[in-house]
Amino acid sequence: MNQNRVDEYRRNFMTALGGVAAVAAVAPSFVLQTAHAAGEVAAKPADQAVTDAKRWGMLIDVTKLTDGGAAMVAACKKEHGWGDEIHSDATQKAHWARVVKVTDKLTQNSFSLPVMCQHCENPPCVDVCPTGASMKRADGIVQVNKHTCIGCRYCMMACPYKARSFVHEHLIDQKAHSPRGIGTVESCNMCVHRVDNGQLPACVEAAPDAVTFGDLNDPNSTLSQTLKAIGGKQIRADLGLNTGVRYHGI
Amino acid sequence: MTSKFSNIFLASVLALATLLSGCDSAPAAGTNLETAKQKADQCVEPTDKMRSNHMSMLDHQRDATMIEGIRTKQHSLNECINCHVAPTKDDGTPLRYGDDQHFCTTCHAAVGQKIDCFQCHADRPAGDENYQHKVGSADAHHFTQGVVNAAMPTAAEVQMVAQPQQGAAQ
Ligand code: SF4
Ligand code: SF4
Repeated sequence: MNQNRVDEYRRNFMTALGGVAAVAAVAPSFVLQTAHAAGEVAAKPADQAVTDAKRWGMLIDVTKLTDGGAAMVAACKKEHGWGDEIHSDATQKAHWARVVKVTDKLTQNSFSLPVMCQHCENPPCVDVCPTGASMKRADGIVQVNKHTCIGCRYCMMACPYKARSFVHEHLIDQKAHSPRGIGTVESCNMCVHRVDNGQLPACVEAAPDAVTFGDLNDPNSTLSQTLKAIGGKQIRADLGLNTGVRYHGI
Repeated sequence: MTSKFSNIFLASVLALATLLSGCDSAPAAGTNLETAKQKADQCVEPTDKMRSNHMSMLDHQRDATMIEGIRTKQHSLNECINCHVAPTKDDGTPLRYGDDQHFCTTCHAAVGQKIDCFQCHADRPAGDENYQHKVGSADAHHFTQGVVNAAMPTAAEVQMVAQPQQGAAQ
């Protein structure tokens, strides 16, 4: 995957930049830091490739979500424009994120949580894709490269979280930052266009008190510190996928 | 060869011939060629390079962006759209790529080449975004400046550019 012609471009660029790039790596003040209650995202220079130095993730504190995550789902929908497909029925409509209600059969205790792509470290959706369209970026964001997606939907079957949907109809008026189209599979991409730009994902902005976003690899990030303090569970941790989206209070 | 295909063939040959001989033939009356000429200097690459290589530049950019998160603007499709396409037609209705006023469509219809990009990508700037200004989209820039002697494509040929995939729900 990494041995593509993009590498050549990057190499040329890195050589051209020489020392500057090296300095940027050791001096965090070189990049813009956006501090935010809900976590932090450092703006990445537009011409530099993402690396595995960071791994993006989020912690959702379900106990602080008064609406079960409905506002987060609404923000996602607004950001990416999914869910209003006019010719698709309810089972066909896109769902990048949804509110799932869980009830304990024994105690009848019940709560709701938002479920989107969990950005697995070992994503089954990537394993089964025959074309490499279902992919994990170096920084842990899992997404579909729709240019090479052939619409076979293997990834939809493989995903244990039902995070993916398929576009059944011809779409118009897509968002410029979120291309979506007929015949391809789509799912939460952690608002990759925003993260690359130094912004928080739309759903995180919609619930800043309940969600922390940040770098799982950095032990000092707000996210890692919060995880250390209050803990964070994976849904179906038994599958060993090491998800990037963690929950507190489930 | 059907007449449609021979037309397309003829158009392609003419397009190529014009590319090779430069594009300074006399413009038809009423076109905004002046704007287009000013704009040519502002383009990210020289006009002849854009004409023949825009897809290879876009393909390269798309891989860099998707796989490595490189988001430079030089060869970004969004920036092409922001610069070349107006959000609306002259009558104020949204301009789509199935219209003969759409910058990309004017040339693609003439050379008989379907456009797949806009099945997923936005085909015009969002209304609230600050786009620069259109280059001859409403005035069929390509027909006057590029494919000088080609007949304007028929409505059906323009439609072809935006044909949905086979088997699509309608
Ligand atoms: S949650 Fe599903 S779609 Fe997301 S990375 Fe894991 S397997 Fe893939
Ligand atoms: S990160 Fe972005 S794409 Fe993913 S659920 Fe949140 S808003 Fe939707």
